[in-house]
Amino acid sequence: MRKLIPKNICGNIKFSYTFFIICLVGQLALAQTQVQGVITDENGVSLAGVNVIEKGTSNGVVADFDGRYVLTTQSNATLVFSYVGFITQEIKVTGSEINVTLSEDLQSLDEIVVIGYGSQLKEDISGSVSTVKAEDIENIPQVGIDQLLQGRAAGVSVTKNSGQPGSAVSVRIRGVNTLTGSSEPLYIIDGVPISGDSNNIATSGRSIADNGLGQDAGSTGVSPLAAINPNDIESINILKDASATAIYGSRGSNGVVIITTKKGKSGVGKLSYDTYFSVQRPTNIIDVLDLPGYARLQNEIGAIYGLDPTVEYQNPSLLGPGTSWQKEIFDDALMKSHQISFSGGQENINYFISAGFVDQEGTVIGSSFDRITVRANVNAKLKEWLNVGISLTGSRTNEDLTLNNSSNGIISLSLFNNPAIGVYNPDGSFAGPKLSDDFRYQNPIADALSISNKLTRNRILGNLYAEFKLTKNLTYRTEFGGDFGNNLSDRFVPTYTYGDFSGGESILSLRRENNDFWIIKNLVTFNKRFNEVHDVTVLAGQEIQESKWEGVIAQDGNFVSNDVPILGTGDANDFTDQYKGSTALESYFGRAIYSYDNRYNVTASIRADGSSKFAEGNKWGYFPSISGSWRISNENFMEDFDAVQNIKLYGGYGEVGNQNITNFAYGSRLNTISTGMGTGFEYANFENKDLTWESSTQTNLGLDFQLFKSRFNATIEVYNKVSKDFLYQLAVTDFVTGGQSPGAITAPWVNLGEMVNKGIDITLGFKTKSDADFVWNSSISVSHYKNKVNKLLGELTINGDLTVDNSNQNLTLTQVGQPLGLFYGYQVEGIFRTLDDINGAPVQFERPFEDALFSTTWLGDIKFKDVNGDGVVNSDDRTVIGNPHPDFTFGIQNSFAYKNFDLSVFLQGSSGNDILNLVDRALTAGNRTYTNQSPSVLDYWSIDNPNSSQPRLARNDTPNINISDRYIEDGSYLRIQNVTLGYSLPSAVSDKIGVARFKVYGSIQNLYTFTNYSGYDPEVGAYNQNALLLGVDNGRYPSPRTFTIGMNIDF
Amino acid sequence: MKNIFKIKFLLLISLIVLAPSCSEDFLDRPPEDSYNVADFYQTEDQVNAGTNHLYSRPWFNFITNVAWCIGELSSGNGRTWDPRNGDFDNFAVTGQHGTLTQSWESLYAVIAQSNSVINTLPTAVNPDISDEVVNNALGEARFIRATAYFYLVRIFGSVPIIADNTEYVLQPLVPRNRVEDVYEFIKRDYQFAIDNCYQKIRGSSFDSNAKVSSGSAKAMLAKIYLYEENYAMAYQLADEVINSGEFKLYGGDAEDGDASGSYYDLFLTANNNNPESIFALQWSNSGQYSEGNGLQSLFAQAGITGFSDGYSAIGPSIDLQNAYEDQEEDLRYYATIMDPGSFYPDLNGGYTVSETVDHQGTNKGIKKYVVGNAATNGGGAQQSYPNNTYILRYGELLLIHAEAALMGGGPTSAGINSFNKVRRRAGLQNIANPTLDDVFHERRIELAFEFEFWYDVVRRGPAFAIDFLSTTERGTYNDDTTPPTIESEMYTPSMSDLLFPYPSNEIQNNPALLEDPIPYEFD
Repeated sequence: MRKLIPKNICGNIKFSYTFFIICLVGQLALAQTQVQGVITDENGVSLAGVNVIEKGTSNGVVADFDGRYVLTTQSNATLVFSYVGFITQEIKVTGSEINVTLSEDLQSLDEIVVIGYGSQLKEDISGSVSTVKAEDIENIPQVGIDQLLQGRAAGVSVTKNSGQPGSAVSVRIRGVNTLTGSSEPLYIIDGVPISGDSNNIATSGRSIADNGLGQDAGSTGVSPLAAINPNDIESINILKDASATAIYGSRGSNGVVIITTKKGKSGVGKLSYDTYFSVQRPTNIIDVLDLPGYARLQNEIGAIYGLDPTVEYQNPSLLGPGTSWQKEIFDDALMKSHQISFSGGQENINYFISAGFVDQEGTVIGSSFDRITVRANVNAKLKEWLNVGISLTGSRTNEDLTLNNSSNGIISLSLFNNPAIGVYNPDGSFAGPKLSDDFRYQNPIADALSISNKLTRNRILGNLYAEFKLTKNLTYRTEFGGDFGNNLSDRFVPTYTYGDFSGGESILSLRRENNDFWIIKNLVTFNKRFNEVHDVTVLAGQEIQESKWEGVIAQDGNFVSNDVPILGTGDANDFTDQYKGSTALESYFGRAIYSYDNRYNVTASIRADGSSKFAEGNKWGYFPSISGSWRISNENFMEDFDAVQNIKLYGGYGEVGNQNITNFAYGSRLNTISTGMGTGFEYANFENKDLTWESSTQTNLGLDFQLFKSRFNATIEVYNKVSKDFLYQLAVTDFVTGGQSPGAITAPWVNLGEMVNKGIDITLGFKTKSDADFVWNSSISVSHYKNKVNKLLGELTINGDLTVDNSNQNLTLTQVGQPLGLFYGYQVEGIFRTLDDINGAPVQFERPFEDALFSTTWLGDIKFKDVNGDGVVNSDDRTVIGNPHPDFTFGIQNSFAYKNFDLSVFLQGSSGNDILNLVDRALTAGNRTYTNQSPSVLDYWSIDNPNSSQPRLARNDTPNINISDRYIEDGSYLRIQNVTLGYSLPSAVSDKIGVARFKVYGSIQNLYTFTNYSGYDPEVGAYNQNALLLGVDNGRYPSPRTFTIGMNIDF
Repeated sequence: MKNIFKIKFLLLISLIVLAPSCSEDFLDRPPEDSYNVADFYQTEDQVNAGTNHLYSRPWFNFITNVAWCIGELSSGNGRTWDPRNGDFDNFAVTGQHGTLTQSWESLYAVIAQSNSVINTLPTAVNPDISDEVVNNALGEARFIRATAYFYLVRIFGSVPIIADNTEYVLQPLVPRNRVEDVYEFIKRDYQFAIDNCYQKIRGSSFDSNAKVSSGSAKAMLAKIYLYEENYAMAYQLADEVINSGEFKLYGGDAEDGDASGSYYDLFLTANNNNPESIFALQWSNSGQYSEGNGLQSLFAQAGITGFSDGYSAIGPSIDLQNAYEDQEEDLRYYATIMDPGSFYPDLNGGYTVSETVDHQGTNKGIKKYVVGNAATNGGGAQQSYPNNTYILRYGELLLIHAEAALMGGGPTSAGINSFNKVRRRAGLQNIANPTLDDVFHERRIELAFEFEFWYDVVRRGPAFAIDFLSTTERGTYNDDTTPPTIESEMYTPSMSDLLFPYPSNEIQNNPALLEDPIPYEFD
């Protein structure tokens, strides 16, 4: 590819020269006046390829490589200078030399908005579309584009599920739309659709990251968008309402994010180099007991468990501070990025070629991410009637993964681990727990450093198109897009001995996975303007796509040494497995846009999708939409009204669908297993032949207007989304399926219920005059949604369960009339401090009031509220204890420029959402031996400490740790997400050193967070993108604070 | 002219491009890496293999994590310091207990898998396959379903009877059924298996003994009748099984004995499916989690398995240790409990127990179901070993026979004869006139760490059970004194502790579990 492009460019340049010479020669004979000059842009850069035509004739030339032109014209002629992307100028010939400065046509560039399968003038758009431009997200040290969307557009909520480099992000466009399917939007990258679902529900059904830990696996998602280099992006358009996304039919219900990568601009070739270097620093650590405190606690708990006292702990005050495990696992981490790009173009061709490298260490020891990308985008006008182009990117990412957001994760281990144990022994080997400790935690440093879990992802993503102009008004475009990737996951657990704790045989586990996706599109577009006032655009299209995957898992173990673990050389744990599958979608769609006199616009679309996900008879779904806009400002009666400008009222209605479910969910499969009698065939799932599309209907109403000579602009949109027939894997009860047990039959996918998201998105913008020395641009976006479940199956409630500390906990409840995934548990009334508190109190969990260590309730225990008033406290007294949905989320962007300095400040936050802090629960449990705890636990209740803040220490069975409002915290926060200060060299100076642009900047990402949340980071997101586990913090990898210096140079 | 060419060209391209979508099966994507149920059961081999899974993976969580917590910890045969498992030891298990929940889920997974075979096979099977083959498979599935219900009814009491899971998938409220109906359901299943499973004679080809037979079902049904206190039926069925000659006492000296084996040999992987085995779970040596037997990981001390497992999770209680009539003479002691310094020649090619072995403060280790490393034990990996788990073996059947006879179900002499066969195999003297207490004791020792003792205690009635359990020594040895002294721990259960609570999540999902059980409608 890289070879091909320069050749094409050369060819084109030659062609231009030839053309130029021919013109020159041809015109000389009739010469009356010869005009010459240089054409430059506003920055003084010469523009090659500008058309110079004598007005009213066919006489003309094209400016050469240095922007020079020579043209012989009639005297009194007028020259027309035209060039794509610039404002056309007409100049009357007065002398023999005319130098021209063309200004960029910002208007036209700005206002073209990419919509599905086409583009439209912003002013004509009648659906809800937000745009994020390259300059909004440049110079921000985030490796993924999904992360960069945070706070940038109203109605788009982005939370990182983990601070681990390369991990998945939850992107929610206008609330949550589905129960267990993915709520991630569909991404269209240069025409190629990519699912944002890191769990790959709709394809292989497994995250590509393998941590080998089965059920209690923590955060497993890695971002499907990690392969895309944000520096290559020109614009991101987010289609939010159904009238905009209906053209994507069955995949539009979660919104669509259209990402367009950079194209070369006509003019002199540009060579750019962008780089930054960052230091990422952990923001905070959670307070846990030091060794003396731990010793005191261990003595107390040990007594409760009847352990022999530990001699060393007899006098805790003599002990040193012990190991601070968190300090050991968190460390400053470096990140660097380099990107080089070449871009440019002539009249008939443009190109953008880039290569990027980013290398990010994680702030948790043993985690890292790096990526190499190359990209080539070329567009050419081969003939008057034929445009062709390609955009192609190849990438490789390498990740070192650690386990997090799990009770067994490295972060949880560092919190709970016993400070009496060192990280290393004096001889440099890893230390570990003693065999006599009944509750042993692995040394997390040893785990992180000796277990290697690497993921390499290679990906080629591209799109090739040809566009034929059949007649003046009719074009036909055909596209072939592909997304081909392979993922290599290598996990090696060596033999080890930490303290008295030794691992057994070494195990090597490899996964090799190929994903092939291709799409073919055929689009016919008719566009015509009738009688100067009727504008009609009609699109008809057809599309087919197929996704295939295949993977092999192989395992070997018990290698002679830990040095060269290679399959086939080990002596145990042999295992191989293979998985494969495919899905297909066939679609037909059409859209008509009619606009009248720049005042009224009506858009209607329909799409029919045929999906392999459903049984015969249910395969096809139909998704219509209609929307309209009224540009009030363009009405005659508004002519004299100029206090408010550019008023546009718009609204739309559309139906979209969702089909993100496993393959063949309508039928029943058999899993093969190995048994003592040979291969066995387990029933894998229950069938449901009636399975059909999940659908969502949305109504959107919006108002745009500007004030103060367009310096202030506002967009206000309200919406109502009704999602119904959710694709939900319903297991009403475990005794029907077998629950989490091996050999359980997974619940069938069903269509179930109805949910409404109502919301309002407001974007306000303000800018000062752009020609002043000091420029200030500011924009605020605020989003609010209200989610409500309208209908489920009868009285059914849906639980959000998670395995916490080896026990399956019901954390959230979803029921009719309430928002999705509310925290569910007990209400705490206080602590039983005196016998008076106990007298007449409701019996708690059938545990008699008795002074005993277990199976009883006694002084110092938590008093739970008898919510239903039946005189006893039991599981019926669980109630809603918190709401993870925010009241509103917001982003505030400010950019200031003064002469050559620019400063941008970006704030972002969320208000009114609750977090269930499971880390705090574990750290204040006070019921385990050999487990570190929060210092607050030492303020436990005892006869001598009746006013304690914490309940008594207890044994494992204590209900004190039941999920309750003790663990609910306000998750509101305001974060200074990014502050960047930049300085650009004045062009006068940079010209002298032969540089077109030179900018240096320094930034701080995640500078400070204002919050009352006690955990690491209030930005918790949805646990593994699960909508039912929103706001659950189970030891999430915290996002670091990042200090960056960087530079941009254009030659 | 040019336009015409262009249009032709485009049409050509369009046709090429559109061609794949015209194919009818483009949108038809059956599974590519597994069987579609509708396409399975086409050959006899497929039908036979169609029940293999019922002997293994769905049982994994129950056997590995729960069966011993209930059978041994709650009964007082074992003890632990582990806070989670300790809840079984001291009757503190609640409906939120993750381990208890695993038993519910695992046993219902067995039922779900069995039901799927039972309800799908008759319609999906290739009609060319003979009824005998199909009915044998159905008999196996019903046998195994009944066994899962038998555990459920003993652990939880009344439970919902699910005969066809697909009927309940979308049904939020499912009532529980009466205990007597659960037993009736179990008996019908075993009767079906008696009528439809193959008749077998257990021979030296151990592999062919793996699947249950008509006789296996009869033996299980005898045990059910024992629980129902229908001693005549229990005796009659046990007697029929004994007389059938299908099974042998491995190491027994009577006509129904197999002198080539011994009590100790019963628990070696190499002797999986020996002639004493009536029904055993068949674990794989694949080493994959949940495909193999995970018990050794919990029972063994560190170092035996060759992996980092070997958690010493349970110790033999002082009460159990003292229950042996003679630790030297009774061969079962050495095969069940590891003494410090004991030598096991076959284990890992020769294993001497550490002098400091001390599972959970008992100064002893566990031998039963501890089988050693992968190299000497036929493969496997951490938490996944290939040794069978007995659900019922002939030794127990003889004790069922004895108990039924002593309780008046048949000739006492025949029962005493069976009883003493078991004792003699263990190296003990005959007891001329054993009592019910003797049988109870013999069952405790014979089946120690085979997860039966809790049910044996509880089925003698609450008065006996509470008295017995509250006086069982579950304490530890204090080694700071010489000789070590006992730090006593005893716990008194309440009536309600004799059944375990339903998992809380299930009650929440299905509040009908808290309502009175209803009669099951047999058709």
